[in-house]
Amino acid sequence: MTNKVSRRVFGAGALATGLIGTSSLPSFAQGDPKRGGTLVATWGGGEPQACYVPAGGGSSPTFSSSKLFERLGNRRMDGVFEGELAESWKPAADFQSYTVKLRKGVKFHDGKDMTSADVVFSIDEIWKKYAAASALTDYVGVEAPDAETVVVKFSKPVPEFFFSSLLCGSVNYIVPKHVYAGSDPITNPANNAPIATGPWKFKEWVRGSHFEYVKNEAYWRPGFPYMDRLIIRYVRDPAGRAAAMEAGEIQIGVFNPVAPPDIKRLVATGKFVATPKGYEEGVWSTSFEVNMRNPIFAKREVRQAMFHAIDRSMIAKTVYYGYARPGTGPVFSPNKEFFTPDTYKTVYDPKKAAALLDAAGYPKKGDGKRFTLNLLAAGWFTENGKIGAIVKQGLEDVGVGINLTVPDRPTSIKRIYSDYDFDVAISNQANPSEPVPSTTQYYTSDGIKKGVPFRNASGFHTPEVDALVEKIKVETDPAKRKAMVVEFQKITTLEASNLPLLELESITVASVKVQNHSNDPNYLAASWYDIWLAS
Amino acid sequence: MQRFAFLGRFARNRGALVGAVVILVVAFVAVTAPFFFPRDPLRIVGQPELWPGEDPDFLLGTDSLGRDILAMIVHGARATLLIGLFASAVATLIGVTIGAIAGYFGGWTDEIAMRSAELFQTIPNLIFVLTIVVILGSTLTNIVIAIGIVSWTPIARMTRAEFLSLRDREFVQACRSMGMGNAGIIVGEILPNALPPVIVLSSLVVAGAILFESAVSFLGLGDPNVASWGRLVGDGRQLIRSSWYICAIPGVAIMITVLCLNLIGDGLNDALNPKLRDR
Repeated sequence: MTNKVSRRVFGAGALATGLIGTSSLPSFAQGDPKRGGTLVATWGGGEPQACYVPAGGGSSPTFSSSKLFERLGNRRMDGVFEGELAESWKPAADFQSYTVKLRKGVKFHDGKDMTSADVVFSIDEIWKKYAAASALTDYVGVEAPDAETVVVKFSKPVPEFFFSSLLCGSVNYIVPKHVYAGSDPITNPANNAPIATGPWKFKEWVRGSHFEYVKNEAYWRPGFPYMDRLIIRYVRDPAGRAAAMEAGEIQIGVFNPVAPPDIKRLVATGKFVATPKGYEEGVWSTSFEVNMRNPIFAKREVRQAMFHAIDRSMIAKTVYYGYARPGTGPVFSPNKEFFTPDTYKTVYDPKKAAALLDAAGYPKKGDGKRFTLNLLAAGWFTENGKIGAIVKQGLEDVGVGINLTVPDRPTSIKRIYSDYDFDVAISNQANPSEPVPSTTQYYTSDGIKKGVPFRNASGFHTPEVDALVEKIKVETDPAKRKAMVVEFQKITTLEASNLPLLELESITVASVKVQNHSNDPNYLAASWYDIWLAS
Repeated sequence: MQRFAFLGRFARNRGALVGAVVILVVAFVAVTAPFFFPRDPLRIVGQPELWPGEDPDFLLGTDSLGRDILAMIVHGARATLLIGLFASAVATLIGVTIGAIAGYFGGWTDEIAMRSAELFQTIPNLIFVLTIVVILGSTLTNIVIAIGIVSWTPIARMTRAEFLSLRDREFVQACRSMGMGNAGIIVGEILPNALPPVIVLSSLVVAGAILFESAVSFLGLGDPNVASWGRLVGDGRQLIRSSWYICAIPGVAIMITVLCLNLIGDGLNDALNPKLRDR
């Protein structure tokens, strides 16, 4: 799982084309794969704003686009990085450039070859500007010495774990240059009918209902995909998804498709399996952030008090039925590389919260309130509204008046990330193991990007954290780097601008007939090339 | 004496009498809610998903978060009735004003008023309400305004029709010949005569408004700071397979209230319609 291991794997050329991924087959696989058929999938959220959003746009477009597009690399269940559209990559001695060897014989859905020109275009025009803009701050440029090689250059040393993670970034796709060149990628109509290299080809999008994808006959992994069609269906509420799954209309639902009580009920029928696997590289959290633009939050004690007033265990128990655990810091506990439990703990303690607020100069006034805040619970998950009710109660108990709103997805995104129209907000984050930039951008000044969803909306930044993150970025020694990330966790938990209330245990529910699923550490964003349906 | 005759005619419709009694009970409960349930009804007070009767402290059980359903029903009656009454008042105010002006003046004023009313009528009501609430934000006031905005057209049309038939009657012409102003005639002379059918319609708008609010809350666009029946149904929707009572209890409350309001509307029609006086 270290950088050395991954380099050795690629150096040995152990990854013969057709065998990729076989080492990570899950325990559900049985018998010879059956070919053909249609798989209907869903996820625990709503329809995306576009099939593919170059800047990411949250999990919904990531789910829909990741079946069509592919990345240069992929991280396996066992933590090893492997090539997807790349065959291998290695750093130069000074870690300021990386040479990436591309896979030969990959074609886009329209029949054109994928070459280094597409990779150069994708990195320059999509990654640098949108998908990985905050990760590529030290990026200098990319060159293509020949059609199968690109050299990515940086102005500073880049850790190998960071670079490998970059190639596997959930929306760091290779897009076709001939489709996107000369257009604004954000508004390119191809975003709603993508042309890519993946196992599935876009067929149609029936808005309000489903995407229909068909098998890519010319896929570069010979023999894949097994199935003829993949339908991604959107059902607005969890009860509807549970009913559709029971009726056999939907075979697999990722990311908590049904309400927790229904998980147990469905599994008890013997027709479904539920698994928490497949979320190791995309651990979800429910976050609580304060808007630093409100002068009340200038004092750190006030921010800490907010967290001390919230009963996270109760949320885990009542809202998530135990499929969640209280979060401790910005790096989540399943992150083997970087997590530390040794951070400032904002545990549930209303007395301490009240004392902190008193000390900060906000005593209770005549009406029993210290001040009143607007609490925005992002309505894209039904749970957030319920958490909003519990948070409201917790804060009101320590004398903080709360106006709760639970807007729908577009309004929530606009109010939190464009208008900064909230005092405190309940949102969600999903972070991969590599903390830069996914995790760090919630705390740095360059993460404050008005209008870009799932960035630093709280507005928190200090020169100390900015400098530390800069150092984490360029440290190529894994041990020293980890020490810095631990330091980062200590500071951010103490500052309490934006912390996870809970780390969510995401669940995939699938019919027992579905084979080869949950075999990728970010299964929601995997291409599902090897999935099949037993009869 | 006349007032008693009115009550007598109203009471002759047994359904209306039952409806009125039930609504009075609901109104009483709504008014006295803070005495019986002084705590914030949205407070989490017990185990989540307790069935009705399972715990004597929570007669109607608790919802998915452990909030007392009885307290939410009782407090919800306030929100629900207030929304119904105020939305109906808003709709009646807009509808009567526009209808009266259109019917009295006729000509191009009438044309403009009725074409704009048709414009409102062509948009599906619920979608219109949802759109307004999404744009203005989910607060109680905005929901009332939204329901008022979509519900005024039938009232305007009814008022206009009454005004059309009354504006050239002898008593109106007498007023005019005595030099009475337009405003005086509209408000003082025609309106009292045009009002009975409008009142019947307004009472039905109250019932419609409650249903609209329930639908809005059910879809998660209600005001999350206020306990309302529709919101309770919406919250319980996820658990309909396991804990159906969370949806059923407020659903029954909505059904009974709306039914009773419709019965009252029938009774008012009987009482106010002179043709039915001797039935």
